[in-house]
Amino acid sequence: MSLLSLRGVGKKFGGLQALADVSFEVNAGEIVGIMGANGAGKTTLFACIAGHERPSAGDIVFEGASLLGLRPDQVCSRGIGRTFQIVKPFGGMSVLENVALAARFGAARLGQGAAEASALELLADLGMAAQAHDHAGTLTLAGKKRLELARAVATGAKLVMLDEVMAGLNPTEVAQMLDAVRKLHRTRGLTVLVIEHVMRALMELSDRIVVLHHGRLIAQGSPLEVGADRGVQTAYFGEGGEMSAEEETEADA
Amino acid sequence: MPTASSLDKAAIPPQHDSLIRAIAPWLIALAAGATLPYAVGEYGVGIGLNFLMWVALTLSWCVLSRLSGYVSLGHAVFYGLGSYLTAVLWGQIPLPLIVLGAGVLGAVFAAVVGTPVLRVRGPYFVILSFGLSELVKYVVLALESALGVSSRIIFGGPELATLYYAMLGMAGAAVLLYEGVRRARLGQGLRALRENEEAAETIGVPVARYKLYAYVLSASIPAMVGALMALRTPYFSAEQSFDPMISVTVIAMAVLGGGERVLSAVAGVTLLTVLSEVLWATAPLFYMIILGSVLIAFVLIAPDGVVGVAGRLRRSLRRRLDGGTLR
Repeated sequence: MSLLSLRGVGKKFGGLQALADVSFEVNAGEIVGIMGANGAGKTTLFACIAGHERPSAGDIVFEGASLLGLRPDQVCSRGIGRTFQIVKPFGGMSVLENVALAARFGAARLGQGAAEASALELLADLGMAAQAHDHAGTLTLAGKKRLELARAVATGAKLVMLDEVMAGLNPTEVAQMLDAVRKLHRTRGLTVLVIEHVMRALMELSDRIVVLHHGRLIAQGSPLEVGADRGVQTAYFGEGGEMSAEEETEADA
Repeated sequence: MPTASSLDKAAIPPQHDSLIRAIAPWLIALAAGATLPYAVGEYGVGIGLNFLMWVALTLSWCVLSRLSGYVSLGHAVFYGLGSYLTAVLWGQIPLPLIVLGAGVLGAVFAAVVGTPVLRVRGPYFVILSFGLSELVKYVVLALESALGVSSRIIFGGPELATLYYAMLGMAGAAVLLYEGVRRARLGQGLRALRENEEAAETIGVPVARYKLYAYVLSASIPAMVGALMALRTPYFSAEQSFDPMISVTVIAMAVLGGGERVLSAVAGVTLLTVLSEVLWATAPLFYMIILGSVLIAFVLIAPDGVVGVAGRLRRSLRRRLDGGTLR
């Protein structure tokens, strides 16, 4: 069943067409990756879904109802959580407070006690129980990225949108993040929409990948299909380009 | 203690700690305050009245500014509006109605101007809130001169003790309001948006609405306080009622107190009240200089205020007593 459906979504910033006629579906329980070079429109797409930007064309439908015109907090209350590429922790609060606050709002709207209990459980799931009482501002980048994830999930979201939660992490941290996302996906029945530049991680994680190029959707399918797609290879490597094993490694870095 | 973190745990309202239990000590203190007019003379009651006024003003300011981080330098606008209402209506309708009317006036004014004013953040909000207060002051001045009223004399105000008891009620209401908001979902949302407005909105905090609620809630008490305090002087003056020093003093008290608890605000008010009494009595010429120096010292050395300093002293003392077993 389609949980989220994008129908001809377009977004113009002045003369710049950031997104044009983007249509795809996300089914409940899926992990869908969004791939594309810098400036392809990935983050704009998230902003449009989350209510930070209003699309200039098309419709975005979540659980059968349009999200157009809703504010970010209203979108969140419908059951969509997101992380930010540039982390935005509540720096003056503890990690636990950060996550508990998310559980007090969003779709969850728990009372203070229940919110804290749910936050503790989530932090334990993410292996962050030991840091629960630390200042969120003192976490490492990996910790802050995981906190972003925890906060998005704590809102009681059915659909979680992850914007480069692995960028800037070392390989061990990337592996931990992959585990964390998979675990939450499995245990909480989440649907996940993920933007990632770490190509291998995206390939490993996603059930399906959508490729954006200059704001247009140029391909979608399983990671294998997308990797073999001629148009995608042209977009990434130019005419006659083909993704060899070595190049794939380089693309990771 | 399993963890030794630098966080002030008290900043997080503990969930099992009910509102009633939190405010009970303050209500008891206020009840004790009710005996003051029987214990001290006119001068003492005057100081008590001032003290309670600052408690009410500072805590009501905290509802918006402490919790949301939108530092208002225009709290005097509500005080002034309330005072003006008294000046206009005094002798025509009973005082309790005037005071209630002032509360409504403050809230309505905040509700009307709130949405555009709260759109700007940080230093811009500070300046805008200040400008708004000055603007209203000059509107009142212009209005008065257009009406041909040079000064409004206020005859037959209530006794000092009556004002004192009314102010006791205001301080109590402010404690209840601040502590209630801080523990409610509203207060939690305000704290989230203080840290990061965009992140707060993304986790589902209706930021624009919450800021407006806080602004409106913070407006009634200072207006009612102003309505009462107008009766302390025999005439109304817009310059005095909208005096920016009111706004500045409120911020100074909150800064000196530091922290998010009622205790902090009350500590700041106490410190500054005592300090100004002592300074006026001993060194009136240096009053502003010393006060300014104290403020700067606190901002630089102890941004967590007297309560923070006291907490640190207590912790280090305990550490020494425990012989360094506690981390």
